[in-house]
Amino acid sequence: MMLENLIWGYVYPNESEIQWSILIVLYPYITGLVAGAFIASSLYHVFGKNEIKPVARFALLTALSFLLVAMMPLLVHLGRPERGIEIMFTPHVTSAMSGFGYIFSFYLTIVVLEIWLSFREDIVKKALSSHGWKELLYSSLALFSFDISEKTLHDDEKFAKKLAIIGIPSAAFLHGYVGFIFGGIKANPWWSTPLMPIIFLMSAIVSGIALLILLYIVAMKIRKHAIDHKCLQSLAHYLWIFLILDVTLELLEIISMKYASREDIDIINRLLSDKIGFTFWGVQLTLGILIPFILLLMVSLIKKRDTLKMIMISISCIFVVIGVFAMRWNVVIGGQEISKSLSGTLTYVPVFFSQEGVLPAIIIFILPFIILRVVTSILPPWKDMEEETQKLN
Amino acid sequence: MQPHLKRAFTLLALVIIAFILVRSLVVPGSFGQYGWYRGDSVNELRNLTVNYAESTSCGGENCHKIIYDVWVKDRHKTVNCETCHGPAEKHVLNPRETLTPANDTREYCGKCHFKQIARPELFPQIDPDTHGQDLRCVYCHNPHKPWFV
Repeated sequence: MMLENLIWGYVYPNESEIQWSILIVLYPYITGLVAGAFIASSLYHVFGKNEIKPVARFALLTALSFLLVAMMPLLVHLGRPERGIEIMFTPHVTSAMSGFGYIFSFYLTIVVLEIWLSFREDIVKKALSSHGWKELLYSSLALFSFDISEKTLHDDEKFAKKLAIIGIPSAAFLHGYVGFIFGGIKANPWWSTPLMPIIFLMSAIVSGIALLILLYIVAMKIRKHAIDHKCLQSLAHYLWIFLILDVTLELLEIISMKYASREDIDIINRLLSDKIGFTFWGVQLTLGILIPFILLLMVSLIKKRDTLKMIMISISCIFVVIGVFAMRWNVVIGGQEISKSLSGTLTYVPVFFSQEGVLPAIIIFILPFIILRVVTSILPPWKDMEEETQKLN
Repeated sequence: MQPHLKRAFTLLALVIIAFILVRSLVVPGSFGQYGWYRGDSVNELRNLTVNYAESTSCGGENCHKIIYDVWVKDRHKTVNCETCHGPAEKHVLNPRETLTPANDTREYCGKCHFKQIARPELFPQIDPDTHGQDLRCVYCHNPHKPWFV
């Protein structure tokens, strides 16, 4: 396509190429899913919501699988992935970005410790009952310490709870930080708002819970087990609450921008009506929030009819997951589609086969599901889900 | 503390110590000497060979005075001699070291003058498909005095 067709109004020469591509859209999306899944699991681990118990450990494994690939979009975007570690070797205190490696490592440690403690009993039992390489694998996972007396497990649980209490603020920090980086860019009116970290956090929780619900339903269908509807509807209920918080903040930002009508309002209006009109009003707000909101409201109003409710929850979750991706897209791409001159717009055209293209983004997004498959085969969380529900047929 | 937790924290401590060790090996010694960069790089950059001599050294010594005087008064005065003629430090030090011929291809002029939306409207730009019949620009335009056709 000719460059002329992609540009409107006055733009600076160095803006004609959009630097932050779909990979940078994927990065906050993946970290959001991590934070969301972790917070969903802490509903049980910290807040003692027993109805969430069937998915609590599964949520931790989901968080870990996505956390392990969270850095990948950035490394591929960087082009020289081996230099990525330098930001950890010589971090500058004035740079929000340079803190990421540390926040990431801290959070990874907490998630791994949390998973280790909550699976320790299973690990030790497997180590004691298996032979050969499996024995070695599980023994090393147990760090060759096989004490699973009642008292030890009780202490472990108490310690895991403490960890999860640290984990919640660090999950919030991990994702709020991503929002902070965008919110701190003062030259860009679409990004520069102190609300950004908390908007990112809320949409992260929303997308994480929705993904967890979908993975739970899919896992149970594959394993041919009945779904624990109490757990599912409880998760859907939390999804609904966080959805309300999320939409309140997202609309608050737009409304205050429109009401204040600062010098950048013309370009913001153009962005919202033209450039990202469809992905913002259509996908992010209508498909991703309004429809799931109504469906989930109906779920909480309808009595009985569990299968219908499950279908409605599944549809809501699919829409939410798509809607949150659109939200990341609208922030990352939308912000770059307005010129710093505030009187021109640019257009991002995604490429499929390229280092910055759609293909690597798809590959990176598939990876966590493969990792989750591997991790769940080493540390199966299914026992929790299948305890209370009987096997179908 | 339970023995398994002790082991876990020892492992974590080992990872952190390993990171600190690797960091101390990998980060150059002179990092942070003057600022948030490798101090030695200042000396390394200073010791790089000089390639460019500046336009004044072409016309200043009475070597290329005539063409220099034409160029310096005209619109291309912001484009240095060495932009087209190439780095000239060696030639200035020793006139027997001749320069490679100036780059006068159509694409090279086009780097500034082919039409592009991001350029100021009044900047001289041409559409390479319709202007000049694929001839080299210097066939009609004098690069030292561009409006002289």
